[in-house]
Amino acid sequence: MSVSADRLSGAFFLILGLALYFAVIPAQVEQIDGRNLAPATMPNVVAIVISVCGGLLILKPTTHQAPDLRFFLISAAFVAILGGSIYAMSFFGFEYVASPLALIIMLMIGERRPVWLLTGVVLMPAAIWFLVTQLLERALP
Amino acid sequence: MVDLSVILAGFGDVFTPMTLLFILFGVVLGQFVGAVPGIGPVMAMAIAIPFTFGLDPLAAIAFLVGVNKGGLVGGAVPAILMNTPGTPDAAATALDGYPLARQGKPIKATKMALFSSVSGDTFSDIVLITVSAPLAILALKMGPVEIVALMIFAFSVISGLMGESLIKGVIAAALGLMFSFVGADPESFTPRLMFGYWDLYDGLALTSVAIGMLAISEILRRMTESFGQAGQGVLAPDNGNPEDRRVSWAEFWSCRFTLLRGATLGTILGALPGIGSTAAAFMSYATTKAASKDPDSFGRGNIQGIAATESANSAVVGANLIPLLTLGIPGSVTAALIISAFMIHGMQPGPLLFETQGRLVYGLFGAMIIANFLNLWVGQLGLRIWVKVVSAPESVIFSSALLLCFVGVAMATNGIFGIVIMLIFAALGILMHSFGYSMVIFIIAFFLGPQFEKSLAQALALLDGNLLRIYTSPVALALLVLSVISVFWFVSRRTNAKADTTNLGVPDGEVLDQKR
Amino acid sequence: MKLKSKLVALGAAALLAFGAPATAQDWGPSEPLTILIGFGAGGSTDTMGRVLADQIAEQTGWNVVVENRPGGGGVAMFTSLSQMPVDNHTIGMGVGIPVLVQLVERGDQLPFDLDSFDYLGTIATAELALVASADAPFDDLEGMIAYAQEQGTLPVATMAPPQVLMMNAAQRESGAEFNLVTAEGGAEVIQLILGGQVLAGFASGEHFPYLESGDMKVIASANANRLSYAPDTPTFIESGVDAYVDAVFFLAMRDGTDPAAAAAIAAAIDAAVQSEAVAEIVRNAVQGPAVNLGPEGARMMMVNGLENAQRLFQN
Repeated sequence: MSVSADRLSGAFFLILGLALYFAVIPAQVEQIDGRNLAPATMPNVVAIVISVCGGLLILKPTTHQAPDLRFFLISAAFVAILGGSIYAMSFFGFEYVASPLALIIMLMIGERRPVWLLTGVVLMPAAIWFLVTQLLERALP
Repeated sequence: MVDLSVILAGFGDVFTPMTLLFILFGVVLGQFVGAVPGIGPVMAMAIAIPFTFGLDPLAAIAFLVGVNKGGLVGGAVPAILMNTPGTPDAAATALDGYPLARQGKPIKATKMALFSSVSGDTFSDIVLITVSAPLAILALKMGPVEIVALMIFAFSVISGLMGESLIKGVIAAALGLMFSFVGADPESFTPRLMFGYWDLYDGLALTSVAIGMLAISEILRRMTESFGQAGQGVLAPDNGNPEDRRVSWAEFWSCRFTLLRGATLGTILGALPGIGSTAAAFMSYATTKAASKDPDSFGRGNIQGIAATESANSAVVGANLIPLLTLGIPGSVTAALIISAFMIHGMQPGPLLFETQGRLVYGLFGAMIIANFLNLWVGQLGLRIWVKVVSAPESVIFSSALLLCFVGVAMATNGIFGIVIMLIFAALGILMHSFGYSMVIFIIAFFLGPQFEKSLAQALALLDGNLLRIYTSPVALALLVLSVISVFWFVSRRTNAKADTTNLGVPDGEVLDQKR
Repeated sequence: MKLKSKLVALGAAALLAFGAPATAQDWGPSEPLTILIGFGAGGSTDTMGRVLADQIAEQTGWNVVVENRPGGGGVAMFTSLSQMPVDNHTIGMGVGIPVLVQLVERGDQLPFDLDSFDYLGTIATAELALVASADAPFDDLEGMIAYAQEQGTLPVATMAPPQVLMMNAAQRESGAEFNLVTAEGGAEVIQLILGGQVLAGFASGEHFPYLESGDMKVIASANANRLSYAPDTPTFIESGVDAYVDAVFFLAMRDGTDPAAAAAIAAAIDAAVQSEAVAEIVRNAVQGPAVNLGPEGARMMMVNGLENAQRLFQN
């Protein structure tokens, strides 16, 4: 790789710190006078630190290797599946989403044995449902 | 002074079947919820409190303390067996516990954690029972100015664990601090960095961030690695060597200084409100590593590492009760929950508690000692069960753990919103890990950030806005000097040894893999 | 017993489906009632809310579910409640003052106002006091102001913006200067007073053990009225500082709720607040009596509270 992983992440943090300092913090933090520590003081200090260290890292990268593209694609797929299931949960509730979610995850990992599939897809969600709603009398998400 | 007969009557109260049963129930429940990913002792206690309203006060409070103590033992289990700590303080235990479990010694690792935890806990309980009152008065003298200095000292010691690149360690810490600023600022309570989401006004929930970053991201990463190839168990197979299934007395005894140091650190930090068990665990780990003749063995399955962290974070729990019982001041979330348990039974901890409720207080002390024994006993049994459970196929473990984390975080925070935050931080965790940034440093900074900013604001108020007047406090000054010394010392060691290989939370088993 | 009450609720719901048109007397929930608590699990609001819910369930046979929605002292919960469709079954429980402060300070950023809700009643009022160490060289607010003028400045611990504004009002009217240290909750205020870092501070009950032991004294009541446990101590207003705050625990539903449902639920809350179990938990949690001001009283409390908060922040 011509661009090292550290140079890439260093550049990201350099820009992130600057964006925080000049755009995000002024817009998202209120100005207060007359107290001891203004709400923006600490965020601003930390934004500068992020930016400066990002810059230093570009100049002085380590030999760290990032994983390959395949790793990122598969993890992104898992994150997307979880995100989708959270979205579905907000409509249908945990009871209806848990089992399909468990099934998809187990199949993606490559599980094919019926006994284990049954355990993960039927038994576990049922146990959680019983524990939370019946024993603890709490609501599921 | 409390009458001896009251003390004896109090201890006697513990030995009613009802109370003993509730302590046992608390310890079992605590170990269980501590070990299950996504649920922790804090949430178990919060849920249990309304239920204890109908109980006898001693049984109720002893039960909650049992949950708390059991939870600390249980919390080490997923950290060691799966590298998925549910709480930041257990993250320190994963540093050496997980490598040891990967070497086929899961029982040895969890047992060492159990013994260290109970040792540290018992130490701080004894301090609590014998010298709590004078210690509490001493702790009161640590005002905001001293706390700021103490936190700087804590940061300086933990910086010794920064890993391969100092710059990247600082970035991870700064990022953690930045996220800790989300929500109301500690002085004027103005909303910050909330983007219109009022659910964030109290800050990003520690549960969502910690579980997302430490547990979910690890699970997702491992699922990605075993994508499509149904793995066997999460653990390496047992190599059949009985030596690797127990902790010998010689091994335990060799950790005596580590245990003592951890327990002392934990007790001191526990008696001071606001610093907490995470900092204690990491400071103990960092100092143990620094004091070791073989620092390179840390992070590769050194039982000294487990002894250091577990003795420290468990000692905090007993010590948290020092300001709680004597002054009514809670030093942590769990301590605040115990105060509310006292309050719903019509009592308020404070200077008169020992006089007016002496019998109950000594009953509670008795219950704590009993709980420690039960912890040891239940733990011996429970650990074997957990090691068995974790030997189920990865697919079942991971999918169940994900569901449990969803439910646990939803209950501990405000529903779906908390789960979304958890997933966002899981994704951030994967990215940070991939690019070699320490998630553990991030979490420590995230955890200590709000307390640091609050104490800083208070210190500024007390010093008339001029931090340079810190010289008016000798204790603070001494701590700052110590911080400077420790930073220089760590930096000089780093340049001598080229690079530190602990790599807090970064390559976990990877170093090991290459060696095998 | 829990199962039995669920069966009863189910039966009631079934009856209702075939029964006569509902009025306040015979309105009953067709699904579980949900109480959203604007604070986290394990705190005093949570515990009071859950005991209240148990009592409602026991007395009416309804199925009541309690959920925690922490964030901003209830602002997060009331924000989401105001955005939910009217369902006649969801109730919010919170404390007046944090919501009122945000409405005054940044009402334009909030999707609700006082009219977004139908008020059902109250449970209790938390009493707020200004306290000091027993050996402090003053006994009342006037004395404290005089001492501050004499010393040049005086460190005082506060927990929330309204208290800062009350101290600012005291500064403005007297010219004395207070050095305000923001503490996180009453216990930390007590800690700062005991440690000698501040001379006085605000507390809402955390100081009781120290009143009993004689280590602390009450300087003034920060409420509109005097404190129930210190009837001889004057309020801020009586001491010449025209400011007060009242923190009332109340329940409300989305506006536009079926009046029959709101009336039935308000009646159920009223009956539950009068029970011994609720009285006991309120006494233990806020050291005061359980008081239900009723639907109209709760609304007036919020309207008056908003005016008061506006006045505090104008200065």
